[in-house]
Amino acid sequence: MRHIPAIAGRELRAWFVSPVAWVVLVLFALLSGFFFLMQVRLFQEVLSYYQQIQQLEALRSVTLNNFLLFGYYQTIWLVLLFLTPALTMGLFTSEKINGTQELLLTSPITFWELVLGKYLAAVAMVTLLLLLLALQTATLFVFGNPEFWQTAAGLLGLWLVGLGYAAVGCFASSITKSPLIAFFLCFSILLLLFLLGQIASIGMAATAGAPAAHWLTDALRWLSSDRHFEALLRGLLDTRSITYFVFLIAFFLVLTRGVVESARWR
Amino acid sequence: MIEALGLSKRYGDVLAVDDVSFRAEAGEVVGFLGPNGAGKTTTMRLLTGFLPATEGTVRIAGHDIFEAPGLARRAIGYLPETPPLYPEMQVQSYLRYVARLKDVPRKRLRDAVERAMERTGLGELRRRSIGQLSKGFRQRVGIAQALVHEPEVLILDEPSVGLDPIQMREIRQLLRELADSGRDGAGQTIVLSTHLLGEVEAICCRVILLHAGRKVLDQPLSELTRDGGSLEDVFTRHTLREPLAAEAEAEGA
Ligand SMILES: Nc1ncnc2c1ncn2[C@@H]1O[C@H](COP(=O)(O)OP(=O)(O)O)[C@@H](O)[C@H]1O
Ligand SMILES: [Mg+2]
Repeated sequence: MRHIPAIAGRELRAWFVSPVAWVVLVLFALLSGFFFLMQVRLFQEVLSYYQQIQQLEALRSVTLNNFLLFGYYQTIWLVLLFLTPALTMGLFTSEKINGTQELLLTSPITFWELVLGKYLAAVAMVTLLLLLLALQTATLFVFGNPEFWQTAAGLLGLWLVGLGYAAVGCFASSITKSPLIAFFLCFSILLLLFLLGQIASIGMAATAGAPAAHWLTDALRWLSSDRHFEALLRGLLDTRSITYFVFLIAFFLVLTRGVVESARWR
Repeated sequence: MIEALGLSKRYGDVLAVDDVSFRAEAGEVVGFLGPNGAGKTTTMRLLTGFLPATEGTVRIAGHDIFEAPGLARRAIGYLPETPPLYPEMQVQSYLRYVARLKDVPRKRLRDAVERAMERTGLGELRRRSIGQLSKGFRQRVGIAQALVHEPEVLILDEPSVGLDPIQMREIRQLLRELADSGRDGAGQTIVLSTHLLGEVEAICCRVILLHAGRKVLDQPLSELTRDGGSLEDVFTRHTLREPLAAEAEAEGA
């Protein structure tokens, strides 16, 4: 495992030299700032509306955490849905374009070192984005009083989602030579994972509850990412949701390693 | 030391390398000679373990390339047909990265990189981005990355292709120096491929002629040109002949 820092370090430097990392960081800062202000405005409007119509019960449920931050993190999830594939699309495709996989695969490094080195670089970038987000979130503590632990848990959940998406991005980048295809493949997988729950519901209605269909829809529901990340974004560090994302990461990294190894048999 | 035994590589229906065996000792400079498509690149990829052989085994410095890949790979410096370069990296940091991949101990990293740059004449360009270098200098960086960990075995796939005559002469000069410094002590084994006869004559001490994936000739350079004929005659004789005749010759050898 001693080669991992060298591989991850080179990847990170390449991102910052070619301005990919800067583009992603600036875009993320702009988008998240914009969504943050929008969410603050929306929050104030909803509050004053409920006050006008004297809906005290509803007013109590509209808290900084449940309304403002949850809505904010949902829009950030949308941003990650685009930015993670953009970040990871070059991980393995660039090696194929440069011809450097011939250097990597004839060096005394293992496939796991290669895959984990690349993944770790992506993890570092996602972490950097989440730190930016934490900074923005922190301003809320100056002006209001959100629940600290719930907020921290929500950020942690979003981070976990980002790590899962990065693993999918690694895989997409490993199976093609074209960064563009890697981008759309990653994006499609993420979207499909998100929509599995909906697909399951449609299937459920169509088959009118045959027992085999039950089993299938349950499996699809579990595989679907939307419920898991919703819980995480709300700040509920549910073990099942954490397990889901850890499983997702492990699954796609194992898959990536398999693809990288099989490349030499072609 | 390189030992290849019965190497074959099949791509679908194409037999790119067909039962090639040879041995190269420390201090030897062996030239793989053959027209385009002869199987030079494929053979080198089998030697370095980049591709698995359909049949046959390779031992580098006594280590099987698939059974003990760590030890075998550490002993190989490899320049692929296209030099494996990252255009955005600076020469020095690129060489440092390669040295780390090849397990050069941390304490010796700086010296190893310095020495590789010195031997390939890249010292002045250490801070330049590789993408901004001319083709000749990029080829030098490719050679420098093959040398950086001072491997026992150097495998160079067409090291002088695409260079102008002056650059070509410089690269040949460099390879000759490497070979000479190898002979008195360090004991490097060098295998290089080329389709240029002049290159073989300039630097190799032994020629392996490949044709349609088969080894059709394996002789010291001195013996080849002893009876007056030029290397060119030998080359055309072996590569333009009917395949059957070449096969008979190979069997006889
Ligand atoms: N990846 C590949 N897939 C299919 N055929 C290949 C591949 N690489 C090489 N070949 C074929 O193998 C033969 C030898 O090619 P190569 O080793 O590149 O020769 P050389 O380096 O001597 O020019 C050629 O007929 C070539 O078309
Ligand atoms: Mg070739």
